[in-house]
Amino acid sequence: MANQISRRAFLRGSLLVTGGLLAACAAPAASEPAPAASSGGEAASDAAAAPAAEDILLRWDTFRGVGTPWNEERIASFKELYPNVTIEFRPLTDAVQQNNYAKMYASHAAGDLGELCAFDPSHFHFWRAIDKNIIMPIDDLVAADDTDLSEWYDVFMGLQSYQGQQYGLPSWGWAGYDTLVTNAAHFKEAGIELPDVNAREVSLDTIAEWANSFYKENERFGLFVGHGEGNLVPLTRAFGGDLINADGTQCTLVDDPGSVEALRWAYKLSVEDKVLPAVGVIENVASAQVEGKLTMNWGGSLNVRNLDRDIKATGTDPSVAEVSQILLPALPDGRFPSQLRGGTWNIRQGSEHADVAYQFLKHIAGKDGSISFNLVGGNFAAVRPDTLEALIADNPIHEWFLTSLENGMPAHAPANSRGREYTDAVVQYTDLLLDPNQPIPFEEGLQQLQDQIQAVLDMDPA
Amino acid sequence: MAATTTTSRFDVRAVVRRELAPRKRWQNIYGYLFLTPWLIGFLGLFIGPGVTSIYLSLTKYDVLSAPEFIGFANYVKMFTDDPLFWPSIWRTAYYAGVGVPLGVLGSMFLSILLNNKIRALPAYRTLFFMPSLVPIVASVVLWKWLLNDDFGIVNQGLRNLGIMDPPGWFGDRRWAIPSLIMMGLWQGIGGTRMIIFLAGLQGIPEELYEAASIDGASAWSKLWNVTIPLLTPTIFFNMILGIIGGLQTFTAAFVATEGGPGFATWFFSLHLYKQAFDYWNMGYAAALAWFFAVIIVSLTVWQMRLSSRWVFYYGG
Repeated sequence: MANQISRRAFLRGSLLVTGGLLAACAAPAASEPAPAASSGGEAASDAAAAPAAEDILLRWDTFRGVGTPWNEERIASFKELYPNVTIEFRPLTDAVQQNNYAKMYASHAAGDLGELCAFDPSHFHFWRAIDKNIIMPIDDLVAADDTDLSEWYDVFMGLQSYQGQQYGLPSWGWAGYDTLVTNAAHFKEAGIELPDVNAREVSLDTIAEWANSFYKENERFGLFVGHGEGNLVPLTRAFGGDLINADGTQCTLVDDPGSVEALRWAYKLSVEDKVLPAVGVIENVASAQVEGKLTMNWGGSLNVRNLDRDIKATGTDPSVAEVSQILLPALPDGRFPSQLRGGTWNIRQGSEHADVAYQFLKHIAGKDGSISFNLVGGNFAAVRPDTLEALIADNPIHEWFLTSLENGMPAHAPANSRGREYTDAVVQYTDLLLDPNQPIPFEEGLQQLQDQIQAVLDMDPA
Repeated sequence: MAATTTTSRFDVRAVVRRELAPRKRWQNIYGYLFLTPWLIGFLGLFIGPGVTSIYLSLTKYDVLSAPEFIGFANYVKMFTDDPLFWPSIWRTAYYAGVGVPLGVLGSMFLSILLNNKIRALPAYRTLFFMPSLVPIVASVVLWKWLLNDDFGIVNQGLRNLGIMDPPGWFGDRRWAIPSLIMMGLWQGIGGTRMIIFLAGLQGIPEELYEAASIDGASAWSKLWNVTIPLLTPTIFFNMILGIIGGLQTFTAAFVATEGGPGFATWFFSLHLYKQAFDYWNMGYAAALAWFFAVIIVSLTVWQMRLSSRWVFYYGG
């Protein structure tokens, strides 16, 4: 009986525990963001020097490489170089990469965003992160370190530049949906000679013919063209048009004959011929290709490599699926229809140890980091010419995309940083335009798509 | 008289003081302290954000910058300058207006069937309850496979039956909401709503059925004149919860169709979510949320008032 706890003691204990829990829930003291540095701030002056001997903790918030050993491998190898620096890896785990930015913005508002982060130009968050003073320019750090920026492809380095300042080092990059990921088995079955994977000799008319001829009702589709922004840009460019102008202020669909022709081409296949899959029919394009349900996917280099990987991983019979590609025809001016897109690693504005953070940025975006980002992390980062040899040695398919990287067309972004509104408007109104179940007249659907995209571009800056 | 009143008041206070002896007072203090964690949560996580969101609904706010007061501009925009606002309300009303009555009626009749004394009754009840245990995301994946336009088993079956142009389901603007309703019915009819109906049925006094039998009532007559009237409080309860849940529908559309195709499943909650967490128009999203709260509360109050006309409380 003597061991019994009295009600009063229990209540006191409860109070103590509750108080402790509430105290533990309090936000950790976060470093105060410093005023916007012009270009790296004072930290830059020390950048060339090795990080100080004091113990340094840097937090790395990322959704890149999560689920693979890549992040840990980079942290461990950095620790060997800088034993006094600890990188705390804080994975952002939402499978939809875009959704992770909500957490990053919330972290920033709470003063808890990691010193190392990535606001991706491809996801349209890069410019907003600069406008909102979240990430810092790295020009002074680059200069102090004497980093040779020509190690990266110019186009990807250019994507990390805004208003004359550099904000990051390229991490991943590709030419967007610049090819038709092709199931060679269907061509062999039909007795059609496969186009050379490195040639650009197949016209869009021929592709349309094949979309029809490979289509077998309720069994197989000849061609898949997605309705997203990533699809529509190379589609319009393949016909000499574009979706929006380079400034990101004007939608160029109805006024550009090339864009109109491109969408009419897709409208004929989808709405009139009804040979393109309707929305939702092919949920997983890669699986559909492995299963032999799709002949050509208007995708990109990353998709080609991944299809090759999936076919091998599943042990699929070559008579069902075999990887190949058909490159899009060159434009009259010699450029290749594509959309060079790239991601970046950034340093948070006000970071106490920006010089050390910069060294880590170099570590993950440098040659070794980039190669392992591909080979260990399973990503596609053809952002440095010096990585290509290793990548091609690992898989010759990488060589198929060099021409697009070297002669591709850069992505355009809304000037007002309204990325999600923009991509939502594109996909939903393209659904309407290309709906085979409830068709609407082409001109009406095209005008609606144009108007809604323009409405987004006309919004106030985010 | 005045002196008497003063004396009387004084006496009351004295009595209170005597009653609240130190020990008693300490007990009260402990009691309130014990409530404190809940109170902190209630004030900090419910009332606080709620009141704050009223203010935010009058501002332009993107989380990254300080809120900028703009008066009722968000509310004006909602009604006059948001092309997705009214269609999203219409879609939500369509979903709730069709899905909720079907779901409530389905659960009611299923529970009546499962209230009979038949062999393997627990097995049947378990079987019907199981879909409600499937996580909604898994359920969406399953139904997307089943209802795939070209390769799905449902359309294969319909084609075998001679329907050569079956619906496009989730990929068809006409059928996207009905597809979500079907999925919701599969998951919801045998779920907790059915359990609540079963509890309601088992609360109906047996002597009423015996009296009806003595009067020669048929099974249908007993159902119509005894069971359903005495189930009306349960129907009412399930209707209230169903309508609130139906109007808030979000997850299935978010996962299955992301609002598409062509905005066909762009429900109000999805619109609100997009404005808040994708577009970072937090002030506008707060205004949408408050408008929605007013709609839901109004509908609930309206139902409560109507209930006196058709809800019958036995012995009440």
